[in-house]
Amino acid sequence: MIKKYIVDTTLRDGEQSPGIAFTVREKVTIAKSLDALGVTRIEAGTPAIGKEECRAFEKIKLACQNAQIIGWNRMNRSDISQSIACGADIIHVCVPASDLLIREKLRQSRSQVLETLSTCAAAIHTAKRELTIGLEDASRADWDFVIQLIETARDLGATTLRFSDTVGIMSPSFCKATISQIPANIDIEVHMHNDLGMAVANSIQGLRSGAKYADSTLFGIGERAGNCNLEHLLIATQGQLDFGISLDELQWRQADLKSIIYKNELLYA
Amino acid sequence: MVTIIDRTLTSFDTAGMSTRDLNHFCDLLFSCGVTKIELTPDLLARLGFPSSAASLRKWLGGRSFFLTRIFPISLDSSGMTKPQPLWKLEPNDLVEKNIPVSKLKSALYPHQKIRITGLEDLMNRDYPTIFKALLGSGAQTLDLCPSNHHHCAAAIALEWLLAGGTSISCAFANHHNLAPLEEVLMSLKLHQPDAFSGDLSVLSELRGLYEKCSGQPVAKMKAIIGADIFKVESGIHVDGVLKNPHTYEPFNPQTVGNQREIVLGKHSGRKSLLYKLNDPGLSESTAHSILKQIKSRCTQLGRNLSDLELQTLASEVQNDKKIYC
Repeated sequence: MIKKYIVDTTLRDGEQSPGIAFTVREKVTIAKSLDALGVTRIEAGTPAIGKEECRAFEKIKLACQNAQIIGWNRMNRSDISQSIACGADIIHVCVPASDLLIREKLRQSRSQVLETLSTCAAAIHTAKRELTIGLEDASRADWDFVIQLIETARDLGATTLRFSDTVGIMSPSFCKATISQIPANIDIEVHMHNDLGMAVANSIQGLRSGAKYADSTLFGIGERAGNCNLEHLLIATQGQLDFGISLDELQWRQADLKSIIYKNELLYA
Repeated sequence: MVTIIDRTLTSFDTAGMSTRDLNHFCDLLFSCGVTKIELTPDLLARLGFPSSAASLRKWLGGRSFFLTRIFPISLDSSGMTKPQPLWKLEPNDLVEKNIPVSKLKSALYPHQKIRITGLEDLMNRDYPTIFKALLGSGAQTLDLCPSNHHHCAAAIALEWLLAGGTSISCAFANHHNLAPLEEVLMSLKLHQPDAFSGDLSVLSELRGLYEKCSGQPVAKMKAIIGADIFKVESGIHVDGVLKNPHTYEPFNPQTVGNQREIVLGKHSGRKSLLYKLNDPGLSESTAHSILKQIKSRCTQLGRNLSDLELQTLASEVQNDKKIYC
């Protein structure tokens, strides 16, 4: 079986699902369970949110034995400083890649994006932390700019490039064609949303096309229709891909965590 | 043109379903883009074919059948009144085959009308080559009805249609573990718009009727039809959506009969609060205090606050400030 790795984002993208909210203690409980399960990387949250989130990071760092802990950041020096301060192993920088996001949300230009990214990377290297870069809305971005961002990421010393289908519009064949075209000199991570019900299929195609990591969440929670559901991904790839995670163990651990994740039963319905 | 077959009602407990609901369910399925609705013989009498139901049943010979629509030519010379479509019955003469991928080639014969079921593991295989072989088999009709046991059925359905397949079978809301109809239709609309002409704004009504008749709630975050999929809470996304909704929406919520809603919770920021309270005079420190309270309460409750709860909380915080300042 081909060896692949899971980046769990239940505590970051998953928690952004409307109505889902964890206390520090709940975050630590979930992280410990993911660590015991064999998840390689845990995206534990966004330290820039505030002190509570930073406190959760510190406790998660102490509680996890094996998993690397990722701090998620906007492309912003102040956010990054907080991630560094709370001890995250990996500092992830999210870079809007589509012209739509650059123009409408950031109100910047492509060249400004590249410039800011370089500044952020320098701060992370100065703090001697691992840098990973995520291309937000990459599936709707201009391919030439995606390639430019990938080359920049590699030149800036990023170890992993996250390709995000932020609004979940990819088809498996489009995903396959896209991920196959990414140069092999950087580790690829696929981050798929489930808006068309294709997050699992797209993650499989991404992994089969060269990605080393797939992002997922418990119960598939996340913005709108959610992220790639870890349990579903394991079911669909049984005997084909080896994530080093037992499906049985995931199922009982997930059942144990259900009351924490869904405090309100109506959300689970 | 692509044939979309809906199979929801073949495995649905229709005993408690009124004739009116059954007819309305079929109407909505046709409106959203379904070409054929597969039904069981015992539903014949309940579909408005009472006088000829017995002979029709004999004609069908106990087989399931398809309900389709025909559009009569308008007799009105002015062309102002559009005639109502008529429902038509046709027997389901598809031969179902559930065979492993490795044996597919030897099981297909030219000139047959075939429905292939199963195939849930196609995403782990070289499916373009498999589809090519199927499409070259010479079958007169080749309908694919992928199983959703691996949570990939909508993806398989879309890839089949993009590869040149012309018939796909599905069921609403993942019913009977078949490809979710709503996901297949929206994928088709986005990826092959020329092959799609349905009105997906009826999906919200269809969901309500499905929940009423099946007694099964559809998950709030179910792709395309979930009630909560256009709720936005996190500050980053609210900021984007308020500037331009297209930033974080794959399609306009109204396309599927839903609407966007900014909600407040643990991940809300100042912009969301100001938007919800619509109070330009709110001071920085009051907004900060209200947000702190919102985050704490939502984390405790595990849900968002309603507008009424927000108003109450905001008043409480503002009153406290007046008393202690």
